[in-house]
Amino acid sequence: MGQDSEWQPRILGFLCRWCSYAGADLAGTSRKKYPPSIRVIQVPCSGRVDPLFILKALRLGFDGVLVSGCHPGDCHYQTGNYFTRRRMAITKRFLEYMGIDPRRLQVSWVSAAEGAKFAELATEMTRELKELGPNRLFTGEEQANGTKTAP
Amino acid sequence: MEQRLRLEAKALLEQGKVSCVIGFEVGSLRFTTTPLITGDRDATGRLVLNPFMANNLSVYLPGIKEKVAVVAKGCDSRSIVSLIQDNKVAREDLVIIGVPCSGIIDLAKVEGLVDKDRDEIDDITRHGDKVLITVNGDKREYPVREVLFDNCLACETPTPQEYDILLGEPTAAAGDESRKAGQEKIARLKAMAPDERWAFWRSEFERCLRCYACRNICPACFCERCFVEETEPTWVMPIPRWQDNLLFQVTRNLHVAGRCTDCGECERACPVAIPLRSLAREMYDIVSELFNYRAGTDKEAPPLLTCYEPTDVEDFIR
Repeated sequence: MGQDSEWQPRILGFLCRWCSYAGADLAGTSRKKYPPSIRVIQVPCSGRVDPLFILKALRLGFDGVLVSGCHPGDCHYQTGNYFTRRRMAITKRFLEYMGIDPRRLQVSWVSAAEGAKFAELATEMTRELKELGPNRLFTGEEQANGTKTAP
Repeated sequence: MEQRLRLEAKALLEQGKVSCVIGFEVGSLRFTTTPLITGDRDATGRLVLNPFMANNLSVYLPGIKEKVAVVAKGCDSRSIVSLIQDNKVAREDLVIIGVPCSGIIDLAKVEGLVDKDRDEIDDITRHGDKVLITVNGDKREYPVREVLFDNCLACETPTPQEYDILLGEPTAAAGDESRKAGQEKIARLKAMAPDERWAFWRSEFERCLRCYACRNICPACFCERCFVEETEPTWVMPIPRWQDNLLFQVTRNLHVAGRCTDCGECERACPVAIPLRSLAREMYDIVSELFNYRAGTDKEAPPLLTCYEPTDVEDFIR
């Protein structure tokens, strides 16, 4: 995907099946408009998301990753999202330390009733990533020994 | 102190309180030690204590099926406590022989200081705050701060907090100046622009062989099956390309968050000298800043990522 005026970021969304996924569904059924840049993977709980998933997504060339779960106190499993919160706090900080723009990882709480919030979030994130430009962290350039790296 | 260690170890074996002692003996190369794991009471005479005993012996503990005695410096005892928190070892199966530590000597720093290979150095002795290095009969004295490992310079707990036997008097934690020296590499990295920092790590990980020495030596890396060996899905390609090397190391650090005690073993084990401690210590500091959590300081506390506070940091969530 070249960087031109038509360039659309690709976002990988990990959405909790009990809230954010239903929220995204509601955004669709209530005909809210948001850019088609987000690809969704349903997870049983946002607590399922290992930081490995986020790095792997960036490694594969996604421009941004969204992890979205239930609001604190609303977790279907009582406390899953609290663990997500801790894990994502350190992940975001550590990615920043590595030199990855922290805007490439977004974490949000979206309930099943917040279709509008989801649409807004997807729009906002797409806009931010457009400003940031494509993710060329792991790809693009030739290596010192002249071999091209596979994406 | 060395004598007392030998006597204590021998007595523990003779009384049948433990079936095995894990400590250090003189290594095959000069100025090194090697782990000694023995159930033989006469072999306890080979145990040593010196400023070269760098290894963190707690790495041998997960999965032990008998009572053992283990020699532990400050950082090692914290690793042991961390393993107890994770139910990897039971406190009652251990006799912890605590050794108040005043820092371990980094041979690479010594070599740089006197501009000689370790084989050309006659002797290295430590006297308090000074280290005496003899080269060709010529004695030179340096402040000990110049030869200690970075993690020792920044050490918060030189004296074991969890022990059954403590050999010698507690040593004081490092002062501010020493701590700053130990954090210098990280401070330099943080001063860089993000792109520069990424380029730095990229060039470091181009050297990585993916030998997994860092993982194997890490007491916090105790998974029986590591994600890098998963084949369905293949999270990380086994070919050592920098992208996968970096992904492996970043994920490893995220997985040991709240378990890492900054013992510095990953960096010492690395055959291609990647500054892995600059990753590990930063994670240690992030965890301590965000959650005021210090790995291995409380054996009753749940591990960092298995618990939460309702008031945990949330300002990054949208």
